[in-house]
Amino acid sequence: MARIIGRRLLFMIPTLILVSVLVFALAEILPGDIGRVVLGPYALQSQVVQYDHAHGYDKPIYERYVRWAGNFVTGHWGDSLTYQIPVLSYVIKALGNSLLLAGFALVIIVPTSVLIGVYAGLRRDSILDRIITISSLSMTVIPEFVSGAILLVVFAVSLKWLPVSATPPQGSPFIDRFYYLILPAIPLMFLELGYVARMARAGTVQVMSMPYIRTADLKGLPRRRIIFGHVLRNALVPTVTVIGSQIGWLIGGLVVVETLFVYHGIGWIMVDSALNHDEPTLEAAVLLVAVLYMFSNLCADVAVAFLSPRIRMGA
Amino acid sequence: MSDEQYRREYGEHLVEQVKNGKMTRRQLLVRASVFGFSATAAGRLLAACGGSSASSSATPSASTSASAGPVKGGTIKVVIPPPLKTLDPVTIYDQGGIVLVYQIAEYLIDLDNKNALKPKLAESWSPNTKGDVWTFKLRQGVKFNDGSPFEAADVVASIERVIAPKSGSGALAALAGILSPGGTKAVDANTVQFNLDKPFADFPYLVSSSSYNTAILPRNYAGDFLKKPVGTGPWMLKSYVTNQTCTMVKNPTYWGKDASGNQLPYLDEVDYTLITDASAANLQLQNGAVDVQAQTVFQGAQALFGDANLRVDVYPSSGIRELAFNMTKAPWQDKNLRQAVAYCLDRKAINQALYGGRSIIGNDTFWQPEVFPGSPAPTPRDQDLAKVKQLLSASGKTTLDVTLTVANYLENPQYAQLIQAQCKKGGINVTINQISYNAYYAGSNTNTPWLNAAMDITEWGSRPTPGVFAQAMLLPTSAWSSSHWNNKDFVSTFNQYQSTTDEATRTTLATKLSGIQQDDTPIVVAFYITQLRTQKKTVMGIQGPGSFYFDVSQAYVTK
Repeated sequence: MARIIGRRLLFMIPTLILVSVLVFALAEILPGDIGRVVLGPYALQSQVVQYDHAHGYDKPIYERYVRWAGNFVTGHWGDSLTYQIPVLSYVIKALGNSLLLAGFALVIIVPTSVLIGVYAGLRRDSILDRIITISSLSMTVIPEFVSGAILLVVFAVSLKWLPVSATPPQGSPFIDRFYYLILPAIPLMFLELGYVARMARAGTVQVMSMPYIRTADLKGLPRRRIIFGHVLRNALVPTVTVIGSQIGWLIGGLVVVETLFVYHGIGWIMVDSALNHDEPTLEAAVLLVAVLYMFSNLCADVAVAFLSPRIRMGA
Repeated sequence: MSDEQYRREYGEHLVEQVKNGKMTRRQLLVRASVFGFSATAAGRLLAACGGSSASSSATPSASTSASAGPVKGGTIKVVIPPPLKTLDPVTIYDQGGIVLVYQIAEYLIDLDNKNALKPKLAESWSPNTKGDVWTFKLRQGVKFNDGSPFEAADVVASIERVIAPKSGSGALAALAGILSPGGTKAVDANTVQFNLDKPFADFPYLVSSSSYNTAILPRNYAGDFLKKPVGTGPWMLKSYVTNQTCTMVKNPTYWGKDASGNQLPYLDEVDYTLITDASAANLQLQNGAVDVQAQTVFQGAQALFGDANLRVDVYPSSGIRELAFNMTKAPWQDKNLRQAVAYCLDRKAINQALYGGRSIIGNDTFWQPEVFPGSPAPTPRDQDLAKVKQLLSASGKTTLDVTLTVANYLENPQYAQLIQAQCKKGGINVTINQISYNAYYAGSNTNTPWLNAAMDITEWGSRPTPGVFAQAMLLPTSAWSSSHWNNKDFVSTFNQYQSTTDEATRTTLATKLSGIQQDDTPIVVAFYITQLRTQKKTVMGIQGPGSFYFDVSQAYVTK
């Protein structure tokens, strides 16, 4: 097992190098240049050229990449080109925000969805199963900007029960942050709850039809023991994989929710820095998300291996 | 003739113009302000005109103070878009950056609520007879918020800084050809002289808050505004979190006093929430999380108009969406076809669809009397499809296929769709090429879409005079000409207009200029956008003609 994890960790290095090269190249393709962004549309072209030259932004892409990469690996993440503030603290703070929102949403999503999914799978074709299946599917198809906007208008504007932004005022105690995160977390729950619950249900249904479950049943094992000892362990393998793959999205992909609820997560920063050709910020943000994504997948795989000895042995 | 004598004579000339009905009283106030008359002196001129005394009050009716008078102390929360880059007065260009700098640093001249000039760090200013040397008397006893005195050397350094090419300041484009490096001189500690390259009647506007990069900073400013936010303004920077929040506290040593001699500002603190998304910002207002939105955009703001807790102030502005025909590209060399597009448009319907009917119908020129007092007023074109057919056939066509490039920004895409639908009725098929905001402005002068597309829409914020617009986009020498118009008659008339100080001649020339512009139609100006500012009904006293000019030094909250 340790060898597998070690190999996976080692494999991350070339992946991250490839990602960083791709990001640099993609930022290059995007229209606009940093001098124009910093000086604005009303600066003369000659001023933009002079600015780019003075700051070395007119150097060839590989030269800029090598310079950036050299600094990055030695911990010098530099300053944001647009905002002239240190990238490290800017990105880390945003990542913290993202992790908090994702964590808050996951704490609710995972137990709830597994519970209702497994329940529906065990009571296959019952009325409750139908209700769970249909409602979870409907929740999943509502885009987060639609559910988010409706929630905002109802709970923040009309009823004024909850705050309209996800960021508490400066100096608020940490615990307040969760109050501010309730509203943005709901659209995420809508999306994920249905998805994960349906995976759990499908897994349960499939396992329930296996001959070994019938054997266990005929053998006279109590139902509780069948469910916890045999069903869950096998039924949740695909669910865990799905959760692992969704963590990356929950951290880095919430641009819409972050915009709507005025929350500065890493997704928002990635879009902003990509549009502004702010390469140091973009690279740092993308690489951090990539690392987290790979780690969450690795954790999911490890969890799956523990759940299913077959996978553990075979790997 | 001494300059003082000249100014006195100019005053008499203005009075004469009003008496002869060639100028309105409001126009007199505006022109008098350009020539550095104080409010009292301008009032004397008005009195000399006889008749009822026109109000020169700069306060919009909606913001007039409650009878109880201003309340001192307290905090307000304001939502603005985040500055698009680091906060540096020399290079700011976006609303968020301009609003924040405006709180800390001041300009020689500011604009009042009706776009007339009002003295700020300069107490008075006047030109020589020719109009190419302008002398500014500075306010005395003013200190920067770090305690150092404000003097002529700071003005010289601030102006020279923005016209040095390496500063990257957008002010260079406006001042190029008018004021060159070395042209700004300190006569003594409180007097500055600008020696212009050529006579320029509207020069004071170029060193006013409307030319937002000309903020007066300490002479030793080194480009580190966020670390050393030093200015003479009413507010001091307390904290700044990029893209999130900004807190300003009152400058206890601010020189400004209100009409009754009370120390300004009234409020203790102003907290800015920085939000990019307009609908998210509107929700903040509706929820009550913020008290004021410095600028409200029309799209999605319908709910604000009907909200019982909010008041939406409306300011006429000269802001436009320029629909430009690139005359270096087919088929736009043909004037008939440019006019045909202008006649396709149903401007009332456009105003209704985009602005709920609250903007002012445009006449395809920069001259608009509701925005610029006393300016000529060419009649806006009505939709006239028979005329379109006639114009097309005069060019040997029955239909026309064209492409319109537009950035996915503000209401520009919706405007493009309205143009497309209305042109179709006239037999002009418009294909819309919608690109991102960054793509629209990307590239160099020779390949950037906004200056090189055959037909495009560009957003222009309010400018204080028609001349500033023409200078920026309608001359062959303009840095931002999307139309690449080169009309010799317009250019020579414009040069005369900018150099003469005689009001009667200026009015005649302006009429001629607006006539040429409307007839030749290098661009379509379908509307002048009204600016909106939204606040809770309890917030009073915010000054400035909308948008960038956000003066909260006299703001207060009623109990």
